[in-house]
Amino acid sequence: MVDVSLAPPEVDRPDTDRFAESVVAPDRPWVTIVWNDPVNLMTYVTFVLQDYFGYDVDKATSLMMQVHEEGRAVVSNGTREEMERDVTAMHGYGLWATLQRDS
Amino acid sequence: MKIRGTSGGGVRIHLDDDETEALKGWVEQLAELVAPDEAESSDPLATMVGLGADREPSGDPALQRLFPDAYLDDDEAASDFRRYTEQDLRKDKAQRAAVVIATLGERSGRKGTVTLDADQARAWLGCLNDLRLVIGTRIGVTEDDQWPDEDDPRTPVFFVYHWLTYLQGTLVDAMSPRSP
Repeated sequence: MVDVSLAPPEVDRPDTDRFAESVVAPDRPWVTIVWNDPVNLMTYVTFVLQDYFGYDVDKATSLMMQVHEEGRAVVSNGTREEMERDVTAMHGYGLWATLQRDS
Repeated sequence: MKIRGTSGGGVRIHLDDDETEALKGWVEQLAELVAPDEAESSDPLATMVGLGADREPSGDPALQRLFPDAYLDDDEAASDFRRYTEQDLRKDKAQRAAVVIATLGERSGRKGTVTLDADQARAWLGCLNDLRLVIGTRIGVTEDDQWPDEDDPRTPVFFVYHWLTYLQGTLVDAMSPRSP
């Protein structure tokens, strides 16, 4: 993930808000990652992110595009137990997801 | 094949006889593939709480894709996670397949209409996705794959895969909330 503190202030970084949203609070150090795969439809991934996480269509679409273009996206953060629950749900929907400590 | 959304979040799907028979056959195969294990554990408590005997991922790439590892770099955590979650995931996928088979059986009318409420539509959506994951894995679909060469024995299965993609895509469009 991009380290936003290295960004020179005058550079336009449209992704800053998106990455800032995924900065993790210190007591919730685990993340769920959704990975790109060749089968899942972009419209379906967007639907899942709205349906399960309650994200609005813009945020869901933005995360889906990140998965599509960059190969992966952090879709949630929290305790390890919460992330295991989210990964299980993603596997239920047929997305490929893993959990790990936030880097 | 046509799909219309209904008020209340359901859908009406129109399928002809061939489409219905074919889809039913594939979903029945999927149901067999994902069926939860018979109680193999010798520990009656484990069986009661739904713990699976399997700690290892399947040797079948299609099952590996349906039930992937949750931890990339920690085999023990991945095994534990699998043991606690795979059986329930299998049950959910098997139940969704059962909904598809049952609602296909209730198809009626001149246009071959399958009427689904919102929950049944979600079951179809998940089941179609599982089906495409299995078929896609088996034929080695990649991001760039469109159609194989004429002589490729996978060609008929690619037809199936692309038809299912069209069906699932049309269904998710009918179910997706409209942008404001």
